[in-house]
Amino acid sequence: MSESSMTRPQAAVAHHTSLGVDNRKLGVWAFIGSETLFFATLITTYFVFAPVNRARPDFQDPRQFLDIELTTVLASILLASSLTMVLALSASKRGDRRWFTTWLLATVGLGLAFIGGQVYEFNHLYHEGLTLSSSLFGTTFFVLTGFHGTHVAIGVIWLLSVFFKVRAYPDSPENAMDVEIAGLYWHFVDLVWVAIFVLVYLI
Amino acid sequence: MAGHGEEHSSHAYGEHSHSDRFYWLVAGVLAVVTALEVGLFIVNEQHLIAKWLEVTLLLILSTIKGAAVVMFFMHLKGDAGIFKFVFLVPLAFATTLLLSFMLLFSEHVGIAG
Amino acid sequence: MAIAERTAGTVSPPSVSVRPGWAGWLSTTDHKRIGIMYLVSAFVFFLIGGIEALLMRIQLGVPDNTFLTPDVYNQMFTMHGTTMIFLGLMPLNVGLGNYMVPLMIGARDMAFPRLNALSIWLFIFGGLMLYVSFFVGGAPNVGWFAYAPLTQKQFAPTAGVDYWIIGIGLTGVASIAGALNFIVTILNMRAPGMTLNRMPLFVWMQLIVAFILIFAFPVLTVGTIQLLFDRHFGTRFFLPNLGGDAVLWQHLFWFFGHPEVYILILPTMGIISEVLPTFSRKPIFGYAFVAYSGVAIGFLGFLVWAHHMFAVGLGPLANAFFGAASFLIAVPTGVKIFNWLATMWQGSLHLTTSMLYAIGFISMFVIGGISGITLASPPINVQQTDSYYVVAHMHYVLFGGAIQGIFAGIFYWFPKMTGRMLNERLGKWQFWLMLVSFNLTFFPMHLSGNEGMPRRIYTYESEMGWNLWNLLSTIGSLLLAVAFLLFLWNVLTSIRRGSIAPADPWDGATLEWSVSSPPPVYNFAVTPRVRSRRPLWDEKYPHLHEVNGSHETPAARLRGLLYDGAEGEMPMAMEPIHLPSPTYAPLIVSVGIMILGFGIIYLGDFGVIAASAMLVGLLIMATGILSWVRISHVDSPYQAH
Repeated sequence: MSESSMTRPQAAVAHHTSLGVDNRKLGVWAFIGSETLFFATLITTYFVFAPVNRARPDFQDPRQFLDIELTTVLASILLASSLTMVLALSASKRGDRRWFTTWLLATVGLGLAFIGGQVYEFNHLYHEGLTLSSSLFGTTFFVLTGFHGTHVAIGVIWLLSVFFKVRAYPDSPENAMDVEIAGLYWHFVDLVWVAIFVLVYLI
Repeated sequence: MAGHGEEHSSHAYGEHSHSDRFYWLVAGVLAVVTALEVGLFIVNEQHLIAKWLEVTLLLILSTIKGAAVVMFFMHLKGDAGIFKFVFLVPLAFATTLLLSFMLLFSEHVGIAG
Repeated sequence: MAIAERTAGTVSPPSVSVRPGWAGWLSTTDHKRIGIMYLVSAFVFFLIGGIEALLMRIQLGVPDNTFLTPDVYNQMFTMHGTTMIFLGLMPLNVGLGNYMVPLMIGARDMAFPRLNALSIWLFIFGGLMLYVSFFVGGAPNVGWFAYAPLTQKQFAPTAGVDYWIIGIGLTGVASIAGALNFIVTILNMRAPGMTLNRMPLFVWMQLIVAFILIFAFPVLTVGTIQLLFDRHFGTRFFLPNLGGDAVLWQHLFWFFGHPEVYILILPTMGIISEVLPTFSRKPIFGYAFVAYSGVAIGFLGFLVWAHHMFAVGLGPLANAFFGAASFLIAVPTGVKIFNWLATMWQGSLHLTTSMLYAIGFISMFVIGGISGITLASPPINVQQTDSYYVVAHMHYVLFGGAIQGIFAGIFYWFPKMTGRMLNERLGKWQFWLMLVSFNLTFFPMHLSGNEGMPRRIYTYESEMGWNLWNLLSTIGSLLLAVAFLLFLWNVLTSIRRGSIAPADPWDGATLEWSVSSPPPVYNFAVTPRVRSRRPLWDEKYPHLHEVNGSHETPAARLRGLLYDGAEGEMPMAMEPIHLPSPTYAPLIVSVGIMILGFGIIYLGDFGVIAASAMLVGLLIMATGILSWVRISHVDSPYQAH
């Protein structure tokens, strides 16, 4: 139990709830559970088609197209954004507005950098001849990573709207919960990238 | 994690925040593991170890990464059991989906294969 | 007193600004109004789906008929299946759940009232989008399962399949949002003392279904998105000539599709488990078995999807696994059926219309279950698949089962929802007419199926020997229509002239009967406290308390994960009642999403126009979200006092 909890005026739950947890937090966790199956299905599709891609005349080799340096940078960006996110939450809980602002905007900036990097990557691949219709690799790769990118974009919008809503009083129980659940979603998006990074880019 | 039966048992669940220094430490571990993954990938382009071994090692490393994100950044470790339930159960379903589909399609490359 | 409700007069009712007339419905966030909107809109879709079925039956009534063209016939069976499942049965169950679950667990509303409103609007707009397809080149004509590669552009050139994708997509978002709402409401908003093992079984089944939904629906969503990309953006997921895989679609579809069957049937099993004890004047037999067999059914439901695909040729190992797993589901289902029978055994049965429907559910569902077991065996399945035997099986389960269960629920809860009783005599006439005509319609299909009549043929030759069975089915279906007209008449007259319903017309055991009919907008003036599974019976008949023994012994499997803090005594403060304000925000967001959907459908063909439509949709969405955030801030429980 850190010193941050001492300054909190009230419990994180406004009303009594049966399980003693916040309704919205429970809702977001269940939503994340649902999203897990969404991405699992996309990844499954990728794996089902990987051997078919290899067996076909229009085979495009992932290892030839994917750039490990760029990907490593992107993965590091997202991991770093998870750090800044959790630091923003920690700052919001102890009512430290300056660091809350810094860390949350840093998270947003890193998210934007990731999207920029992905746009660059997609553009690069497109000019190399990898498109949605060039091969099964193109089909599965772009739909999987594209939907992940969309989730990052939604996460950025979510974080920004939370920022403008809570920046005056980031430590009120309601606002701290706003930051926490936006953070949960953000970390989940990072988590998906951990999976995509190893399953698509490294294996 | 104890703490049921109180009027505001959220107190028990809510206070799982670690110090900032701890988060930096977790991030450091994540960075090291990522470096290990990429290093393994690059080094093994010379096929020093068998592919299956490389894949196994990579999967173990990323499981560590994912677990660290979920347990510490998302604070699932030490949080209420219901959160674990609504995340880990679908995760198990998702793993089942992936593995069963890979099994079902393992000898099936389609009519164009 | 276990129930503090009788003191409603001592607490001043909250000031809720309900807008009058239509505006009140368009801006409502009240779970009861939303539940009624679900029921009414779903029933309208259900009638439309019924008309589609009638048209098909008329076409098939005599051999070599030309009443419908082959293409229209294909559109009819596609829309009939899609409508009945996504726009009929599912939302009827959601509607009953929306109305009853908060009342049954002693809550004032759902956990997220505005999200609840978003769900109903997305559902209605999704259904309307599906039906728009009739006016823009033809409805989808590929079956409700939309098998690849029939759905690809070269075989289905009209926008029908696109409307199917987006329509299902919108109702899917609505379902997932609704399921999240149910999960949080049921897990987290129970009245003090209402532990998981004291919840009414209807609530249990709704909880299980909500979990099935959030696990199963994303798989379908991904499949339909991939199909959309195939049709418009040049991918090849399901295009075999380019390396895609039509069988993958089947796997994705049925990985969702089989759990979907339990999404349809489990809530009605919950209804039965409320109705049977009430009208047998006995507690449910084996509460824990009924509850946890529901969990088992939900879990096993994810492991059997490929029994819809035995004809594909998955290989002996996969066939054996999926066949065996399917047989296994008969065990928890059988457990439930014997529990229901034991509940009625030696009870003093009150044969109300609702009870008749509940008994009808059990008997018809058993027939459907038995034909289901025969279909679970791969060699038999290969003989029966795609024949009318399958049509008979699924209608015994989903009509004889689910629809009769829903009627049991409607006759049971209509007094609670409207304050008026439905006409029992008319209801019993409807029941018997429906039971007879249902069997007349669907029983002959077992026989025509066994004689080899395939599904989805628009006509047949006289020499095939199926004439009699088809004629009987068609006569039966026309009589079924009369039964539904009787019901419609019953509702329309009873709602105005029916006898006034007391708060507790059936001498019920659960909390919804403790409040007036219809309930006040805030449900409970004072949050009730619950000490048993049958709070009302315990209060009304205190001398019978504990007669039925050790109902406090929970099957504690989930206990570690779901431990309930509300077990013990809780000091209750008199809280001011705070209800969410009405708002148009969810409606605005839904309109934006619908316009976005139209844009997506035409993005591939009319790039610029569609893209600007999408932009407009996004702007409307953003406007809606802004006003949503503002109102939710005002309504926040943190701001309330």
